[in-house]
Amino acid sequence: MINFQYSRPGDIADAVRQIAADPRAKFIAGGTNILDLMKYDVERPAHLIDISRLPLTGVEETASGGMRIGALVPNSDLSYHPLIEARYPILASAIRAGASQQLRNMASTGGNLLQRTRCLYFYDVATPCNKRAPGSGCSAIDGINRQNAILGTSDACIATHPSDMCVALAVLEAKVHVAGPAGERVIAFEDFHRLPGKTPERDTNLAPNEIITAIELPARGFAKNYTYIKIRDRHSYAFALVSVAAALELEGKTIKEARLALGGVAHKPWRNKEVEATLNGQPATRESFRSAADALLRDAKGFGHNDFKVELARRAVVRALTQAAQGTPQSQSNKKIV
Amino acid sequence: MTFRNALTLNINGSEHEVFIEPHWTLLDVLRREIGLTGTKENCIEAECGVCTVLLDGKAVCSCILLAMQAAGRSITTIEGLGTPDALDPLQVAFLKHGAVQCGYCIPGMILTAKSFLAEHPGTPTRHEIREAISGTLCRCTGYQKIIDAIADAGAEGAQAAS
Amino acid sequence: MSVEAPAATGNMGEPHPRFDARLKVTGGARYASDMPVDNPAYAYLVTSAIARGRIVSINLGEAQNVPGVLHIMTHENTSKDVKDSKLFSDGGFSGTSIIPLQSDKVWHDGQIVAVVVAETYEAAREAGYRVKIEYEAEQPSATFESNGVQVQAAADVKKTHEDPKVGDFDGAFASAEVKVDATYFTPTQHHNPIELFTTTCAWAGDKLTVYEPSQTMYGMKNGIASQLGIEPEQVRVVSNFVGGAFGSKGSLTPRTALTAIAARRVGRPVKLVATRQQGFTIATYRAETKQRVRLGASRDGKLTALSHEGWEVTSRPDNYMVAGTDATTRMYDVANVQSKVSIVHADRNTPGFMRSPPELPYMFGLESAIDELAYALDIDPIELRRKNDTMKEPIKGLPYTSRSVMQCFDEGAKSFGWSKREPKPGSMRDGDWLVGLGCAMSCYPTQMAPSSARVRLSQNGELRVETASHEIGNGAYTVIGQIAAERLGVPYEKVSVVLGDSDYPAAPVSGGSITTASVCNCVAEACDAIRAELGINDPKGDVLAALKSRGRGAIERYAEWTPKGVPDGALAKLYSGQAMPTGGTKDKERIMFAFGAEFIEVRVHQRTREIRVPRIVGAFAAGRIVNPRTARSQLMGGLIWGVSSALHEATEIDKRAARYVNKDLAEYLVPVNADIDQLEVFMIPEEDHEVNPLGIKGIGELGNVGTNAAVANAVYHATGKRIRDLPIRLETLLA
Repeated sequence: MINFQYSRPGDIADAVRQIAADPRAKFIAGGTNILDLMKYDVERPAHLIDISRLPLTGVEETASGGMRIGALVPNSDLSYHPLIEARYPILASAIRAGASQQLRNMASTGGNLLQRTRCLYFYDVATPCNKRAPGSGCSAIDGINRQNAILGTSDACIATHPSDMCVALAVLEAKVHVAGPAGERVIAFEDFHRLPGKTPERDTNLAPNEIITAIELPARGFAKNYTYIKIRDRHSYAFALVSVAAALELEGKTIKEARLALGGVAHKPWRNKEVEATLNGQPATRESFRSAADALLRDAKGFGHNDFKVELARRAVVRALTQAAQGTPQSQSNKKIV
Repeated sequence: MTFRNALTLNINGSEHEVFIEPHWTLLDVLRREIGLTGTKENCIEAECGVCTVLLDGKAVCSCILLAMQAAGRSITTIEGLGTPDALDPLQVAFLKHGAVQCGYCIPGMILTAKSFLAEHPGTPTRHEIREAISGTLCRCTGYQKIIDAIADAGAEGAQAAS
Repeated sequence: MSVEAPAATGNMGEPHPRFDARLKVTGGARYASDMPVDNPAYAYLVTSAIARGRIVSINLGEAQNVPGVLHIMTHENTSKDVKDSKLFSDGGFSGTSIIPLQSDKVWHDGQIVAVVVAETYEAAREAGYRVKIEYEAEQPSATFESNGVQVQAAADVKKTHEDPKVGDFDGAFASAEVKVDATYFTPTQHHNPIELFTTTCAWAGDKLTVYEPSQTMYGMKNGIASQLGIEPEQVRVVSNFVGGAFGSKGSLTPRTALTAIAARRVGRPVKLVATRQQGFTIATYRAETKQRVRLGASRDGKLTALSHEGWEVTSRPDNYMVAGTDATTRMYDVANVQSKVSIVHADRNTPGFMRSPPELPYMFGLESAIDELAYALDIDPIELRRKNDTMKEPIKGLPYTSRSVMQCFDEGAKSFGWSKREPKPGSMRDGDWLVGLGCAMSCYPTQMAPSSARVRLSQNGELRVETASHEIGNGAYTVIGQIAAERLGVPYEKVSVVLGDSDYPAAPVSGGSITTASVCNCVAEACDAIRAELGINDPKGDVLAALKSRGRGAIERYAEWTPKGVPDGALAKLYSGQAMPTGGTKDKERIMFAFGAEFIEVRVHQRTREIRVPRIVGAFAAGRIVNPRTARSQLMGGLIWGVSSALHEATEIDKRAARYVNKDLAEYLVPVNADIDQLEVFMIPEEDHEVNPLGIKGIGELGNVGTNAAVANAVYHATGKRIRDLPIRLETLLA
């Protein structure tokens, strides 16, 4: 791992000043991704700005009935926060589906948004990868791509975003508050992560000199009818093959509003509002869910090893919507094997 | 020569002054500079949990924690949990249930369990324990006996508290 | 279910707690890289980015500029330093004949191509990344179907190899009433012990001390001496605790000599901790296999014909093979048998032994095929095995010294609730989950090797045992101490055992499940010599009182033990680092195996097809069980390994580059705690006085044989899909 200058800014303004002044600087908070990328020689920052002690650890209710989560709230604290558990259980569930106790204790809310892909080739500096070394080529398209994307891919990149938490945040339509040299701005969650296109090296629309300060949750939490399902090769501590966050608002047995996001299938949490809208006013039945799943996966395309994800995602969507409608969300902490 | 920073770390209740380079991890400093080799090294990228220590009482992977980031916080390693003559109840339970084989994962396993039981007092189910310690791998593998030991220690803790 | 320790029943010793448990729960157990050395420098390996070709140039400029770099070894300055690297199977000590840094040639991906030594680990790693190597790459051959692989019959390349054969398979198979003809695949797997491959070398004058986790103290001592061109007496190897090995630390890897050379060059101790990724290519692994199994049977379920053919991948230069047909052709009573093993040379590192090297892949083929036959015959798979059970192996007609396999099936079936199984595939359900129940036979050859040990009894009652055997999680400290205590009538608490140091009497490699049988029989002999000297022949006689009454301070005996049937000179070979195991199928008059029966319940989600294993039951018969607590641990661990080999573990190879791509524990999956639910182990009492004086068979590898077949058989029962290619992943069940 490269040696670097280490600094600990006193406040957010200082942090922004420091990152703006040094193009080879990076922020470090929980460190759970940047440090292993540095050990692999994937990231080589000359300067690490340790923001882990900035005062961004509050979890507060907002005037509009939502919540504002400081960017440095550890994932574990957030998932066990009583208001989050009560009002946004889909978020608590998705967080607990990810990583391990130790990593959730370390990882920050903001950092979770910025974690990078687990594509095998991104981590292997001996192989071409457009995300790591733009223009070098994509090794995954014709390589081992079982974990790679089936939606929103490009000729340059078929990487997925590995976060579980973000899949729930997509469904909740969170807002990302950021600060930069030009002041503060708010990015809608669906605009935060990017598709790879021709510039897969850019995962997000956050500028290199900006810092995430908070995540804002709107008032609606879908606490009654929701689930987060994560399909993976192990029962815990494995990245998703496919995950689904499903949230429903029901009137009797009729769907008033449906929200649906997929993880493990694209460069960002995958939503399709047109497909969601087709569910509105429909009965909450397997038939409705199946046609929504078919529509959601209509343009999905595998690359060989990951072909199965198309059918798996289709089935996972139906299962998730069914569980959400029944009010039987998946437990992430009780790993009883039925 | 490389510039080194002075850093004071609070480890197992004592202060240690070390001179380190910024890119040294807490794991490296514990093992190499302090000589506390009970914390094990393995994947070096938080995939296996054998390097687990408690930071302000919570389990973290010391292999991806910069030592600089641990300044001013309380660090507990396996050596600080109990001694051969005065074992922590979790250590006693691991002995009782024969939950030890090659032993390499055991310090991390015990500290992972310690953090979980402290945050989830009462008597967690075996299924909850399984999930909570899934970030610490045992290859031998003693999973059944490790669960027995943690469930036992958890139940005893709950009994002592009531 | 919670069992603190199984009580001693039948032919079992006491379930004493592990001798080293207290040290291990307090962090006091020192593994090789924990050993303090004075002012160490740190080494980092640079490994090749190509699998076949040559190094054109190495540019060290940037690397040497990293502050703290002391020295960089490449083939340009190290080509003559390593003298030889003969494969253990050719009478050497190495797991590979490929010597890195010997020339510009690259034999496989991830081959060591440079070693950086620096003041700190971080500096060495950083400089390692800055070593710039230009290659001339050729298209490599990755695995079975790749262009350019070279296939050879095992019998053509290895003089001692026999393809077991009896009767007329072709005729019997052609006329069989019911047939199975199926091809099975097992994947590449890596041991991935949690403790990494570390080496610390320290010179004092011309004496070298090596701290390295190892399953072979004397193999390392002699092997490193021969590689460096020094005398074995100049080398001491220390490895008091090993953080898991599973075969990966049983032969010499190239890193040891390179670290020793580095230490000599920089004039101070050098510490190497190879990364998890490098561990995939600088040591050995379980090679992928392809197997064709053909079974013929009469309508009533009597086997008439069995053919087992296997293909195994190996490296270009080495003829490594596991040849599990040696066992699989001897498991059932069948008159017409044929078999053949072939090796397939590819541009890969040399494979090696990994827990149950031959039996794990080959019993998957056989025990899956038996289940297929049971369905074809519409006979219960346990009854099919009973019908073809035998007390003598069919190839040469040699009797088993003992074989309690059907007792294992019956006990296991009872506990598992086999009788509640609805045989029809897809017929059992629980809510959204399809339920499948499967079983398979486990076996492992009973092997032993010559061994030596020293035992000392002091008048204060303390008993000390010294032998250069290995604590790899197997419980060696415990069972060795326990046998000495029992034999001399001394309390277990008064025994101390020292292992893992080549200054002690030689013990064989801890592989092939031979340690308990080999070392314990030897220790028992040393104890008996003490008894004899004190004139206490009554097993209940008080040895300590006799010692005191004779006014002695202490009595010490050194013993050498050789199992029946080893060639002359085996003890000398033991001291020169060669274990010479015997037993199993090697004996001319009898055949020795331990057996088991394994039962698996799987759940497959009816929609999304995740596979879970809520229940595992194993029943095993392995002669005398010295310590039921440590034995249970070994068998449980084996069963979990077996499930892992069925559902989780596979090293993925990018065939374009013959490069492993999932080289870490986030991507090479082993089970986590949440994957394992109910797990029960039964030890069926069995006495076998023929295998060795103490009647010990060995259980380190027995537990993970057959489990993969039991899982696949259960998946078939749940879904009606026969999966013949491991690991079983949900995508194979989606279609």
